[in-house]
Amino acid sequence: MSPLIIDILIRPDAFFSTRETEKESLKIPALIILTGGIVAAIYGYLMGGLSAKMMEGVMPGMGAVITLSAMAGALIMTFIFWLIVAGIFYLVSSLFKGLGSFNRVLEVVGYGYLPQIAGSLITLVTAIVYIPKIAVPTLTTAALQDPAMIEQVTKAFLHDPAMMELTQITTLVSIVFLLWSAHIWIFGIMHARGLSPRDAAICVGVPIVLYVLYMTYKLGVM
Amino acid sequence: MRMNHFLAIICLLLFCILPGIALAYSTPESIVASGNVYVSRIVYDPGAFFTGDAGTVTIYVTNGNSNQSVVVNHATIGDKNIRLISNPYDTSANIGPLQTQTFIFSVATDAFEGVYYPTFSLSFRDADSLYYRAMVKVDNTPLQLTVLDKPDAFTQGAKKTIYLQVANPRKNNVSSVDLDVTGDGISALPEQVFIGDLTGGGTVPVNITITPEKATTVLLTLNYDNGDNPHNVTMEIPVAFGVDKKQANPVMSNVQVKTDTGIYDVTGDVNNAGLETANTVMVTALSPAVPQDPYKTYVVGALKPDDFGSFEVTFTAGPGNTTIPIQLSYKDADGNIYNTVQDVKLTSSGVSTTTENSDSSNLLPVAAAIVLVLIFVGGWLYYLKRNKK
Repeated sequence: MSPLIIDILIRPDAFFSTRETEKESLKIPALIILTGGIVAAIYGYLMGGLSAKMMEGVMPGMGAVITLSAMAGALIMTFIFWLIVAGIFYLVSSLFKGLGSFNRVLEVVGYGYLPQIAGSLITLVTAIVYIPKIAVPTLTTAALQDPAMIEQVTKAFLHDPAMMELTQITTLVSIVFLLWSAHIWIFGIMHARGLSPRDAAICVGVPIVLYVLYMTYKLGVM
Repeated sequence: MRMNHFLAIICLLLFCILPGIALAYSTPESIVASGNVYVSRIVYDPGAFFTGDAGTVTIYVTNGNSNQSVVVNHATIGDKNIRLISNPYDTSANIGPLQTQTFIFSVATDAFEGVYYPTFSLSFRDADSLYYRAMVKVDNTPLQLTVLDKPDAFTQGAKKTIYLQVANPRKNNVSSVDLDVTGDGISALPEQVFIGDLTGGGTVPVNITITPEKATTVLLTLNYDNGDNPHNVTMEIPVAFGVDKKQANPVMSNVQVKTDTGIYDVTGDVNNAGLETANTVMVTALSPAVPQDPYKTYVVGALKPDDFGSFEVTFTAGPGNTTIPIQLSYKDADGNIYNTVQDVKLTSSGVSTTTENSDSSNLLPVAAAIVLVLIFVGGWLYYLKRNKK
């Protein structure tokens, strides 16, 4: 890892002030997003395996399809997440009369995604440890015809002690690394859109804090 | 002269007749011959009379002379206890050498129980009479109807078997024995059992099944003929509903409830704590549970007394159901079905309890998440405040 990349994590203000002078490039941000997407896809593969196991009774032989769908979904969703986050930051920063291009915002968001790769790796390791402990219920054909029963089965799956622990750990890890990314994005948006630190903090902080609170709420009602 | 002729003719006639009269009276030879005539056999039908019965007596008279016939001209039997109800023999009959002559009489008796000796008398033409005491027994002992085994209690609509024995304690045979089963509110199978002849001292087992619809009394009537005289014996068996002390009593134990995919899986043991075999023991869940594959109904099979078997039933239960009735059914030897129901508590492995646990277990991560957000927000507020200055 080049010193430049390390600067993203520990000195984002300096990093983005340097990037500001250079021409915008999405190559490295896209690679970062791709790396995060691959890690997410592996995680999706593991979790998709659980879903496939749950559906084994009603759709025998569909396990591979479910697993591949989960992998592809995780990979694609990472890129969609990149675009959505960049779009939100761009729109909100426009309210503060931000000047930079959308590509520059995309670049910033891409660089700022770097801590989440580490978060995803930790999540992946946790999943590898916990998934064998999860008792996966199997849906029957009769159960599939009863929506209440499907809900009950899903609840039973989500409330499995190992599954609950995994969810709690991954959520907290995600929050930690998302907030780290938010910290980076504030400096990035500040430089990319020519905003004051306060405006940049609002542009990034408000949506991210709202999202984190939503994650916390979901964790609470689980 | 004419008078003399008349007297002479009379005297001649008397002279001619007298030797003839002398032939009808006993002679030493006829007396000896009659002494060889004897009663060789007596047969009463029935062999023993009830007081009031009528019957027949057949007397076999044998001429023991090898070369001389005897003429008999009157035969009768009876006394004040054994009354002759047919006519006596009043005509002459010749019994050839070594021949047997039968004399059949109809008799009746109103005497009490005991042994009686009516006299048979036979008059010889050429000798005195023969007298013979023909022993007969008056015995009022009836046939016995005995209950060998029956249920301690009956159940409405349930078929139960009563094991009976018909015994003939008399010395003589009886005939046309049949057993009638009647009663209000019962269904008997068979309603009539024909046994036929029953020898003296003999026994016959009879089984009947009763299906009562109400508490009642079963009337058993044993009809039979002693000779040609009909008799009967009756017996009443009360049919009371209750719990049979010996009946099979399957009991569930070691019941464990697990849940998987919303389907409850109940396992346990069934012990037969009764004294009879429980056949075709089956276990299933009742409403509000909805039995599901693979064990909608579990057939444990036959359980002998003190025997046990395991069961497993699977079902779904709607939310809010904390207990589910589990039905245990079995059949007795007669095929009657008995059901017992035991409530099984759905354990904490259920979803609802897990949800309750999640409230407390989620508190710590939620608090941690809030702290992280506060650190982030607080940190940035501090940073902004410091940079502003």
